[in-house]
Amino acid sequence: MTVLILTSEEDVTADMVVVHLNGSGVPVVRLDPADLTDGVSLSGEYVHGRFRGHLSAGGRLVSIGGLRSVWVRRPGVPAGRAPQPSAWLTEEASQALYGMLRGCDARWMNHPDAARRARHKPWQLRLAQRCGLPVPATLITTFPRAAREFAERFPDLVVKPVSGAHPQDPPRAVPTSRVAPDTDFSAVAFGPTLLQRRIAKRADIRLTVVGDRLLAARKATPADADPREVDVRFATPGPPWEPVEVPARTAEAVRAYLRRAELAYGAFDFAEDGDGTWWFLECNQSGQFGFVEVETGQPIARSIAEWLSRPVPEEPAELDEASSTAC
Amino acid sequence: MQPFALNYARPAVELAVATPYAYDSGLQLNVLGDGRIAACDHALLREVGTTTSTAGSKTHFDD
Repeated sequence: MTVLILTSEEDVTADMVVVHLNGSGVPVVRLDPADLTDGVSLSGEYVHGRFRGHLSAGGRLVSIGGLRSVWVRRPGVPAGRAPQPSAWLTEEASQALYGMLRGCDARWMNHPDAARRARHKPWQLRLAQRCGLPVPATLITTFPRAAREFAERFPDLVVKPVSGAHPQDPPRAVPTSRVAPDTDFSAVAFGPTLLQRRIAKRADIRLTVVGDRLLAARKATPADADPREVDVRFATPGPPWEPVEVPARTAEAVRAYLRRAELAYGAFDFAEDGDGTWWFLECNQSGQFGFVEVETGQPIARSIAEWLSRPVPEEPAELDEASSTAC
Repeated sequence: MQPFALNYARPAVELAVATPYAYDSGLQLNVLGDGRIAACDHALLREVGTTTSTAGSKTHFDD
């Protein structure tokens, strides 16, 4: 049975997993939904109570019923590169592809419905609280007065996008940034704003979870770090990422988080404070892992390949007609 | 009328290094000019930064 990988061609991080799948002899079909209908084709028929579907890409043809797993990595917008792209064609292509795949028995990393829900940061914060993870005091508001009062209670704040998305017109990045105590919060009225108590961190933690396997890495904050730099993605390169053990309570909590989120993969970001507490910041359901593996040597790609390679669980025996009638 | 968070925005940084590999649809992998598989060269991946968590992606906000 085949592993289906939905991602872009330039996704070299996905390559790290494909290499392991090839090494273990597991068939792989990799395609980018953006290439529907120019390079990627699909067909499915629902006849006589049965479904038969196929996907084709790069000269490979795979039966949808023959998929053991689907890895949704970095797929493009369906039909985004069609000769005549349109919002209507994208919706058609999306419904056809993901609709057929939703009906198969393959295991997902991650299921699109779970992934969509898991991208909501406010939902993440609440789930983390419920799972017992420490969450910094956070306010999401459009009330300038609420922001001012929150800043009085928690004078050392950061601001970050609610969605994690970044504006593209023009392209800009919005890093997590410190908010000065005397800031004018009147612009909070013009868009939901996420304010969070800053954790005086001594390290960043990236905890990558693949199924039941936890792989944590730690990047120490240099003693002479610029106190204005709070977003590790924008900070000047410091010490390398190094493997670190996961505290037992944290391990239990993140497993509960993924179970309740119905995710097979998650990349958690924590800030480690001076007491060694890991404060939950977010969980990226499709977070990057290549940069951690190349620095730490942790077998993240291999773990993903092993998860994707597992056989599809056998279906429970179907009820016969008599027992169906009895119900 | 600009939302508060955008007061902290900065220009998105494009990758300065052109990727020295290209996708091979037969292998379903990116390969270097000499035919080696790019993903097996961790030193290269670290150098080009294409596996790195970044902000400002045009298509994805999960980092």
